[in-house]
Amino acid sequence: MAYSDKVLDHYSNPRNVGSLDKNSNEVGTGLVGAPECGDVMKLQIRVNPVTQIIEEAKFKTFGCGSAIASSSLATEWVKGRTVDEALAIKNTEIVKELALPPVKIHCSVLAEDAIRAAIGDWKKKQGTEATEPAKVQAAQ
Amino acid sequence: MTNTFEILPQPSGQSSHQCWSCGDMRAALFCDSCGSLQPAAPTDYFTFFGWPRKLNLEMPALEREYYRLSRLLHPDLFANTTTQEQTWSLQKTSHLNDAYRTLRDPILRTEYLLRLQGLQVHEKPAGASLAAAAMGESKKGASSELLEEAFELNMQLEELQMNHKMGEHDEDLERQLAEQESALVAKLAQLDGELHQQWNQWDALANTDGLPASKILDSMVELLSRRSYLRNLVRDVKEALAD
Repeated sequence: MAYSDKVLDHYSNPRNVGSLDKNSNEVGTGLVGAPECGDVMKLQIRVNPVTQIIEEAKFKTFGCGSAIASSSLATEWVKGRTVDEALAIKNTEIVKELALPPVKIHCSVLAEDAIRAAIGDWKKKQGTEATEPAKVQAAQ
Repeated sequence: MTNTFEILPQPSGQSSHQCWSCGDMRAALFCDSCGSLQPAAPTDYFTFFGWPRKLNLEMPALEREYYRLSRLLHPDLFANTTTQEQTWSLQKTSHLNDAYRTLRDPILRTEYLLRLQGLQVHEKPAGASLAAAAMGESKKGASSELLEEAFELNMQLEELQMNHKMGEHDEDLERQLAEQESALVAKLAQLDGELHQQWNQWDALANTDGLPASKILDSMVELLSRRSYLRNLVRDVKEALAD
């Protein structure tokens, strides 16, 4: 199966790889995984407490090219958005942008879950209820 | 994302058919009355063997029954019958082979039963499986612990691979990973023990509907997903150490 150019680009030149201080009050961490393929994805965001804008996003993913590309793209997309705007990101948009084939759609689901989990973690730290329960464990 | 098993759950065990040849009732593979081969009825693998949906299976019995049925259903035996019977024989034989391959493997067997009972195994949570819906906080905790572990281990593996690429051998790291590997293997064995306990509980149930049953099924889904993670990690560590 051939990967699209966009997947290859993100795979060979991933954006925002790294980590943020998970103990910081401004940082939300989402760790999700897909047991069947063994993928693990960590996505972290740093949110400006005043503006609620995600100023920084980092990820580290162990998995296939599509999983890496999906999470790389996710960090690019959440940056500069408010938390609520970031929650609106749908996996279908990732699928479209990266031209993922049907067998790789679960990678985009994982990336969406990672965003939600990171935001959920951040909201927990702020003492506010998450609008939707963060899916800590993705992909049953 | 429907599952790959073409056989859908049947409401109850052996359904009664009318033999197409003599009109007698209650025929399964063959008509009880005249012995003619019957059309391929959509039965699950357990029913095909005439067994209840139980997870403890005696391998010798399974093998015996497989060979016995193979000898009865083999397409060669129907070379001189109608085209229809030849097709049925082929269909049944192929169904038999699938059934045997699935049932003889403990994990495939468990996954198959879970799917038969309407659960989703290894599927995305968006499908909201019974398990995900019923998953409490404690289970989530256990899973995130496993994710942490998987993440840490992958970080170490990556470090090891980078070292190797640079032509370095970090013996400390390799020793650590070897220890991790045996720890993972031990965990896998423990998990298989837990899965076996769930089998026993399932098999002991008189009624496979209701809360006790769905609880058991949910824990099996959870166990299988942890197992699949562990198995992948063991594979990765083995590969990294072999490099």
